[in-house]
Amino acid sequence: MRIIVCVKPVPDPKHWNRLQLDPKTRTLVRKGIPGTINPLDRHALEAALTLREQEGGEVLVVSMAPEDSQPVLKEALAMGADRAVLLSDRVFAGSDTLGTAYVLSVGIERLGEFDLILCGDETIDGGTAQVSAQLAEFLGTPNVMHVSGLEVSPGKPWLARSQIEHGYTLVEIEPPMVLSVVKTINTPRYVTLMNILEAEQKPIEVWSANDVTLSEPWAGLAGSPTQMADLFAPERKGMAEMITGDPKEQAAKLADRLHRLGFC
Amino acid sequence: MEFKFSDREELLRKTVRDYAEKEIPPYMEAMEETGEFPVELLKGMGQMGILGVITAPEYGGAGMGALARIVVLEELGRVCPAIPMAIQVHHMCTYALSTWGNEEQKKKYLPPLCKGETMGVVAVTEPSGGSDVGGMQTTAKLDGDKYILNGRKCFITNSHHADTWVVIARTGEGGKGLSAFIVENDFPGAKAGRKENKVGLRGANTGELAFNNCEVPKENLLGNEGDGMTTAIQDIVQCGRPGMAAVALGILNGVLEQAVKFAGERTLYGKSISKLQAIQWHIADIYADLEISRLLTYRVGWMIDQKINCAAESALAKQFACEAAARSARKAIEIHGSYGIMHEYAVQRLLRDAVVTIPAGGTAEIAKLVMFRQALSMFGL
Amino acid sequence: MSDQVESKIWVFVEQRRHVVAEVGLELLGKARSLAEPLQWKVAAVLVGHELDALAEMVLSFGVDEALVADDALLEHYCNQAYVKAVEGAIRQYEPQALLLGATAMGTDFAPRLAARLRTGLSAHCIDLDLTPDGQLLSLVPGWGGNVMARISCPKTRPQVATVLPGVFPVPEPGRARGRMVSLNPQLQPEDLGYRVVETKREEAPKSGLETAEVVVAGGWGVGSKADWTRVEELAAALNGAVGATRPPVDEGWAEEKQMIGQSGRTVRPRLYIGLGISGHMHHLVGVKSSELSVAINSDPKAAIFEHCHVGLVGDLKEIVPPLVEAIKQYSQQEPG
Repeated sequence: MRIIVCVKPVPDPKHWNRLQLDPKTRTLVRKGIPGTINPLDRHALEAALTLREQEGGEVLVVSMAPEDSQPVLKEALAMGADRAVLLSDRVFAGSDTLGTAYVLSVGIERLGEFDLILCGDETIDGGTAQVSAQLAEFLGTPNVMHVSGLEVSPGKPWLARSQIEHGYTLVEIEPPMVLSVVKTINTPRYVTLMNILEAEQKPIEVWSANDVTLSEPWAGLAGSPTQMADLFAPERKGMAEMITGDPKEQAAKLADRLHRLGFC
Repeated sequence: MEFKFSDREELLRKTVRDYAEKEIPPYMEAMEETGEFPVELLKGMGQMGILGVITAPEYGGAGMGALARIVVLEELGRVCPAIPMAIQVHHMCTYALSTWGNEEQKKKYLPPLCKGETMGVVAVTEPSGGSDVGGMQTTAKLDGDKYILNGRKCFITNSHHADTWVVIARTGEGGKGLSAFIVENDFPGAKAGRKENKVGLRGANTGELAFNNCEVPKENLLGNEGDGMTTAIQDIVQCGRPGMAAVALGILNGVLEQAVKFAGERTLYGKSISKLQAIQWHIADIYADLEISRLLTYRVGWMIDQKINCAAESALAKQFACEAAARSARKAIEIHGSYGIMHEYAVQRLLRDAVVTIPAGGTAEIAKLVMFRQALSMFGL
Repeated sequence: MSDQVESKIWVFVEQRRHVVAEVGLELLGKARSLAEPLQWKVAAVLVGHELDALAEMVLSFGVDEALVADDALLEHYCNQAYVKAVEGAIRQYEPQALLLGATAMGTDFAPRLAARLRTGLSAHCIDLDLTPDGQLLSLVPGWGGNVMARISCPKTRPQVATVLPGVFPVPEPGRARGRMVSLNPQLQPEDLGYRVVETKREEAPKSGLETAEVVVAGGWGVGSKADWTRVEELAAALNGAVGATRPPVDEGWAEEKQMIGQSGRTVRPRLYIGLGISGHMHHLVGVKSSELSVAINSDPKAAIFEHCHVGLVGDLKEIVPPLVEAIKQYSQQEPG
């Protein structure tokens, strides 16, 4: 079985309190914030590794990111992926989700046939949750999002469980396919010290725009249909009315207010 | 000269941090209460490669070396210093076995120690004192195909949980009369005795090991007869002191985090206390102590990996980092005011933990003696 | 055959088993107010099987056209079949904007459709604007709500956006004036990329967050799992639901389903109380419709104090217990 996992390097959310908006350039200053695998992509990778243990085959990691993201891909290899491809080129920079899905699709086309592409349902930074479905559209395969369970038995259609409001849908689907997973699907494994050493022997290939066939114009900032018209810190309503005093007085004043409004 | 971790060490730090932050906290309250090490964690730490970080891969380890070990211990200690305290002693056991063990001994004892199926300990200190290794009184007498051990070892970390004991005992007279033995906790006459009740690092179990006509098979002599002094001293220099320094780094990380967070949250006269210069100076001092301790400790790890003799540097790192941890924890308590001595706040535990690191793995005075000799030797004296 | 469709803004009104998702109706109201200055018409798009009654229902919300893609193969939601069902009509009638709810279905259908049409999509919007020249501007929180982005789609049409449920009010229904148009989807079984085996309601205990009159939410500042009981006690005293920001969920103090915000639930209670919540937009977008919002935090500079109505600076450990006591005493009093 050939499984491809799409991974996005994101600034480690543990350090997001250090993110700053540059008021002049209207961009986010993320200098010094270490990168990590997008949290849900870790679940996608875990699902891929579990499936490989069960069915055999290989797990490839594909990412579109700046070249300095290699340590993040190294971590994916240390988790157990066999090989990683980093699509990295200034031409790709600034892609919106359509552009990203398109670049990933041409990279994956170069990798050849696959049974399954796994993605995290959404990224923690942009949070658009669009790339998996758009990737499937470019590749012409079916896709299921919000996947919380997957049952694979050889020779039979696969069963994917997709979370919806107040429940789930169970669908029968045949490879090749794109699935994007939610957190509840599994618990990602830790990278072990032995894994770190093994990963040093595994290749990370870096592909530029010249290494893939871009026949459509969607890649990069210029090609992307959506544009960021403005980026700003959220507006403030203005200061709240403050209830002061020692803690007991504060509590009493608030309780009185809530009582007068009929909450108690 | 390069003051930068490689990608390997950065990933190592990240993965151990992830592990420690998720897996250790659920045990911390019980550790403080009972003074017991959570042995349930051993399997997981074995799978992670934490237990075998300095053991060669052919014996089930990761074989990553001394600097990697310091990073691992520091990250465990950031979350809970008692954990790396226990693990660093476990490492001392694997180090002794790896360095002086023969092939059979290594094959028999190292893989389960690396996997976390067994826990290890090195026992040097005796009731008469630990610093005077030459004055050791526990005896080992050869009787046919067995050594018979008699005596007591005290203040032994992991005493009541360890399965594999590396024990130094007297086989002859003087400094050359010491030998090392591998003792299994269920050998006839071997027994974990009194359990200590420490003020800090409570989750690392400490107690006595007693030998009452304890029968140790002859093949469990570690190295040669007479090597015991070297084994004890080298294990302390290469493993024990850097390990204690790394535990102190963990504490210092915690201290700085608690100090900064509290200073940022606490307000006085309507403004954050972090605006007060007195508080700022405390935090600058803690930061300096952490960074200096790091440089000293990482250097020792690097020197060990480069096979450079580092007896004085190892003593310096241990002595400085442990004192720095205690000093900084006190400053963090001052920042906290009365909150700092309340059980709900972590700083009081960090101070207790730091104080316990000072005599552990060799007292400050012995470390200073090593440094003094080094200083004299610089002038040919 | 199908009549000419004139609407410039299309709203996808999602339904499962003939029950519409409220967000579809919310978007009908918003679309009408966006379209008014430009004198554009607004259409509701329904996809499924046997939809006549629903078409009448959406027409009562004042839309000009109800576009209905009705086919037995559309009975269960399947993204590829849904895309095929509306793709032709969009290409033919060239709407300027297409709005969908950011639901499980909408977040799956919208990107696949936008990619098919090679057009731009903005996701999880919390506000929409339409410029006089017909540009749709979507307000999207990013980076965990640390920033807001305004997204436009200048070159391609339609401009597609998914909008968080609960952001806009459901309009009042009135007299229907629009008409129904059939889209004649003409699907083949092979247009379905997968087969729906079953759709099940999960008997997971409901948090009741979305419908609660009172929501008490806790953040990182609550401190620990043990301290989390303070959040629960205050909620219980006010007969409200318990919510959380992301950190307590990650720490295991609260459950995933209790998370409020951009990637969690949107609540619109009469009273919201935030305990130990610093106030990232990520969370605040989920509570901005609260009638009265109260924050208790030890950090006087916490951003939440600039977004809530009433603020208390102090230690939760010291304020919440007497607050719970006082509320309980009031609650035991006879009414009047």
